[in-house]
Amino acid sequence: MMTKSVTTSNLAALQMKYFHQFQQRRIHVQHFTFWGELRPQHLKETRVILQHSGMIDPREIQEYLAVGGYSALAKALAEMSPESVIDEVLRAGLRGRGGAGFPTAKKWQFTRNSPGLPRYLVCNGNEGDPGAYMNRLLLETNPHSVIEGMAIAAYAIGAERGLIYCRSEYPSTIQTMETAIEQAYQLGLLGKNILGSDFTYEMDLARGAGAFVCGEEGALMESIMGRRGEPRVRPPFPSIRGLWAKPTNINNVETLANVPHIILHGAEWYAGIGMENCSGTKTFVVIGDVEKPGIIEVAFGTTLREVIYDICGGIKGGKQLKAIQIDGPMGGCLPSAYLDMPISYDSMQAVGSLLGAGGILVLDEDTCMVDLARYFMEFTQGESCGKCNPCRNGTTHMLEILTRICHGQGRLEDLDMLEWIGEYLPQVSFCGMGQAAPEPVLSAMKFFRDEFEAHAVEHVCPVHHCRMPIHAMAAAA
Amino acid sequence: MVHLTIDGKHIEVPEGTTVLRAAQQAGIHIPTLCDHPHLTPYGGCRLCLVDVKGARTLQPSCTLPATEGLEVTTVNEQISDARKFVLSMIFSERNHFCPYCQVSGGDCELQNAAYEQGMTHWMIQPNWNTYKVDASNPYFSYEANRCILCRRCVRTCQELVGNFTLGVEQRGAASILVADLGVPLGESTCVSCGMCVQNCPTGAMMDRRAAYRGLSADAETIKTICTGCSVGCGIEVTIRDNNIIAINGDYDSPVNQGVICKIGRWQSLEAMDSGVAVKTPMIRKNGELVSASWEEALAFASKAIDTTRQSLAALASSSLSVETLYAFKKLFVDGLAIQSVSASEMGKYTNAQKSLAVTNGVFEGHLSALNNADCVVTIGEDLIHQHEVVGFMIKRNLPKGTALICVDTDGSAYGNLPNSVIKINPGTEQQLVKGLIAGMVKLGVKSCACDGCKNPDQVVQDAANATGVESTLILDAAYILGNAQSPVIVYGSTVTSDVDASTLTTIKCLSDMISAEMISVKGNANSVASAQFGLDQPVDMHTAKAAVIVLGDKQPCDELLNAVSKVNTKIVFSAYQNALVETADVVFPVNNWAEEEGHFINMDGTVQKRSQILAANGQGKASAQAIHDLAAQLGFSIDDHWMEALQSTPASVTIA
Ligand SMILES: Cc1cc2nc3c(=O)[nH]c(=O)nc-3n(C[C@H](O)[C@H](O)[C@H](O)COP(=O)(O)O)c2cc1C
Ligand code: SF4
Ligand code: SF4
Ligand code: SF4
Ligand code: SF4
Ligand code: FES
Repeated sequence: MMTKSVTTSNLAALQMKYFHQFQQRRIHVQHFTFWGELRPQHLKETRVILQHSGMIDPREIQEYLAVGGYSALAKALAEMSPESVIDEVLRAGLRGRGGAGFPTAKKWQFTRNSPGLPRYLVCNGNEGDPGAYMNRLLLETNPHSVIEGMAIAAYAIGAERGLIYCRSEYPSTIQTMETAIEQAYQLGLLGKNILGSDFTYEMDLARGAGAFVCGEEGALMESIMGRRGEPRVRPPFPSIRGLWAKPTNINNVETLANVPHIILHGAEWYAGIGMENCSGTKTFVVIGDVEKPGIIEVAFGTTLREVIYDICGGIKGGKQLKAIQIDGPMGGCLPSAYLDMPISYDSMQAVGSLLGAGGILVLDEDTCMVDLARYFMEFTQGESCGKCNPCRNGTTHMLEILTRICHGQGRLEDLDMLEWIGEYLPQVSFCGMGQAAPEPVLSAMKFFRDEFEAHAVEHVCPVHHCRMPIHAMAAAA
Repeated sequence: MVHLTIDGKHIEVPEGTTVLRAAQQAGIHIPTLCDHPHLTPYGGCRLCLVDVKGARTLQPSCTLPATEGLEVTTVNEQISDARKFVLSMIFSERNHFCPYCQVSGGDCELQNAAYEQGMTHWMIQPNWNTYKVDASNPYFSYEANRCILCRRCVRTCQELVGNFTLGVEQRGAASILVADLGVPLGESTCVSCGMCVQNCPTGAMMDRRAAYRGLSADAETIKTICTGCSVGCGIEVTIRDNNIIAINGDYDSPVNQGVICKIGRWQSLEAMDSGVAVKTPMIRKNGELVSASWEEALAFASKAIDTTRQSLAALASSSLSVETLYAFKKLFVDGLAIQSVSASEMGKYTNAQKSLAVTNGVFEGHLSALNNADCVVTIGEDLIHQHEVVGFMIKRNLPKGTALICVDTDGSAYGNLPNSVIKINPGTEQQLVKGLIAGMVKLGVKSCACDGCKNPDQVVQDAANATGVESTLILDAAYILGNAQSPVIVYGSTVTSDVDASTLTTIKCLSDMISAEMISVKGNANSVASAQFGLDQPVDMHTAKAAVIVLGDKQPCDELLNAVSKVNTKIVFSAYQNALVETADVVFPVNNWAEEEGHFINMDGTVQKRSQILAANGQGKASAQAIHDLAAQLGFSIDDHWMEALQSTPASVTIA
């Protein structure tokens, strides 16, 4: 076991030493790919944050050092002021990967300028969306990239304490992270006087109890503070009044994992990847009716067609694509007409949808959209925190109506009722969850209205693929 | 200051004000449900939506901070439709069958809000599930079927009462209000203050006594004070047909800012509801108490007093009004010059302060100091079971980081809430306080030039030996206390009963050192007045031949019954039948607290007036009047210069 601290001067030598050991072990590469879904890189993929995933052993910090790990932190501490780190990230155009795409450097600047000490940095690894595991894979295959990103962010913000929030439902992630944090401490890459500088950064792991809403910033902080996971009133924003009423910066796992690459290779390099106003790459978990489901990393600007047909091998069994559902329970679906749309935060917004955290559900012609809408509503209804009346009750009523329709007991007015509730939830709900909750239903109704009418009025499922009794009834008739 | 426009009206408010409060200050009404003026904004119901120019969607005004140049509209069709949607969601959540609800027809804020929006029905059928009814608390019940999950009760219990009993279990549509970790209220940590009931907007929290007696909305409400203890909380009494329907805390009262305890809300009505009133004067004839006229009874009493003057004792309850106590003192001390005259507590809560006030003048502060305290030390007083509102004022600040140091011979009545619990040997309060002083000097957080502090190590060690407390514990507490910016020391009878004021002198020394406010709880509602009138002497009733006892509406304690058991002649002024009345020779019927007005001096010297709420029944008189009548019969006339009399003796508090 190593106990000698790493410093700026011996970092390069150590990296070289471990690189040789690492080369000898490369034979085991596949061994470290815990996830069958992480396939070798496809030509149309651009791997930045996933470039070492599967190549290095996440349980050994030496392997991360072997691929040049912690050089970015060393560079930031030795050569850059906190302001210039923020400036670099600003010029790189990094936007938050947690869903909203908020410019990361701006958020850092707010927190840095906010009065009150200590400041906190939180890495949001809640990832509660069904079917999504981008953050989990990254944390389990390359935990140190996130720790390094956090340390740089903390340096930029002037935060002396950092927390990574992981859900208890990810026990292996927690284990990996804990090991990684411990090893980073042993090498003096965390703690006091990191790399021989006067920068101090203490880091810990906080466990969540697996509520989807605890990914929302306010609820996340309440949860960390040991309270009920309910969103907070905004403003004040966490940058002003966060954990224990101190300035707090919250970033997604993937956002932070990008930071070392930006610092190491420069803003210009990063800004060159992806699109104008939306630089860099995004990881997606593509699931559903594709030949090769799994996790991918593409540059912004890649089209949905490239993702589905090129990288993921097209629709399973040669069937027709029906719709693409983006961002699960908080996102909408798009019909195949949108296949050539380049993926970016802005393009999604332009079609009235959100890019979200990175879940892509591909649906073939056999999919019952009513059933799918009901499925997502069931998830949201069960995950509503119950703080605000519209979300708590609105999702319950929408689920009730959708279930009724799927049972062949619907009527035309039910669709009006869904639209009525769906119209108000985004306007009156307390947090993003209630605001987005009707989206899967409304978008499905927008593009596949006749399917809903068939269920509600004629009491049949046109695709005969409902998992609900209506299908059985239709079959029996 | 920020400037905004609401419905075209230009309004200026301090920064940090919400749009809702700004509107309210300008007289603009916005419907609300989860908001309460004395609780932190929550933003849960979404009824208070308003239109903000430039905003993407409607905004909840209760959580929206007013910012410069904001343009707000509170009424338009879009808002009204959204509010109807919000209300429809609430109505369909549980069983709101209003005709069966006890608050329906004016007291329900939900129903009122629906009327206001012109709702006649809602489009979604109600939830037919049945929810729990918790009737395990003797004073109030919780009916989950009417609950709209606004959390006003939860925030009340937490932010105003500091009891942290209520919470919400589960999430989303399964959310349900629970006490502690899901036990019935009656088995929970609830202290039955009823503040949650007072603040509940619907019929979910129900005052069991008040139920179906009438709606507050169409009854009369009178402001007065509770005289259950020396805090003197402001209350609002709702009455109909000369009956009290309910009592609530008065948010306008500077003393308690709305918070009251179970005594003020419920227990002060128990005697009225179940006691047997003394209806007429009574005289003992041939061993039997029989009704008599006031003239007969007064004649009987004055004769008895005249003949036993040399061995007469007189005792008045220190819960009586200033007017009554003054008349009592004028008659028995100044008029009849009787030696054995006192009030029921005989100085237990005031002796030490009165002694120290002779040399120091006023040295105690106001209760409101607790609101800004960052460290509170309680010495020898259980504020969980006595003077509960003071306890609430302390506990509710603990989540903000206020430190609590509890010094007591029985350990902590606050459970594990205090930062430091110092369980001392009986009678060693003074040594402990000396230890704290020396501890601060030893730790270097404070300095002191007095002789006692020359050798702080020795003093701390001596304190540890005497009190039986580890010296590290004393030092911990000294450290917290010495670093406090606005400390408050609250002490009770173990300190205050001592005429020599030795412990209090040491506490004063500690307080000077750290610039702390000193507050003492004072027992009954008028202990301060009793002491100022000199009604604080020890009186031995055992040897008296005759005794005059003015109970008012209080019950005699066993101690008193024992003390007067051998007394030949007993003259009793009482509102209710009780064990003392049964053995009395003359009984004068006097009014209960709701039937007579009078003044009271609370623990921090605030002079307050109690109003008359109900018309008196039968032949009962106000206690003060009854004593005036007796004085007249004995040939004395009594003035009403009680204020001068109160202020003629130095007091530890400013009487004003
Ligand atoms: C209901 C809800 C769930 C969310 N879940 C997550 C999550 O699991 N992980 C995440 O990073 N952000 C989540 N977010 C977004 C966060 O609130 C926040 O915007 C994000 O962590 C900010 O990081 P970024 O700026 O790096 O994107 C969620 C938001 C909402 C409203
Ligand atoms: S919108 Fe839903 S999740 Fe968000 S606060 Fe309201 S109830 Fe909770
Ligand atoms: S609480 Fe209000 S709305 Fe509900 S049943 Fe009672 S009166 Fe009606
Ligand atoms: S009991 Fe009353 S105050 Fe408490 S949440 Fe229910 S409706 Fe609100
Ligand atoms: S009665 Fe008082 S202590 Fe009991 S739950 Fe209500 S607010 Fe809390
Ligand atoms: S009063 Fe504003 S949300 Fe309830």
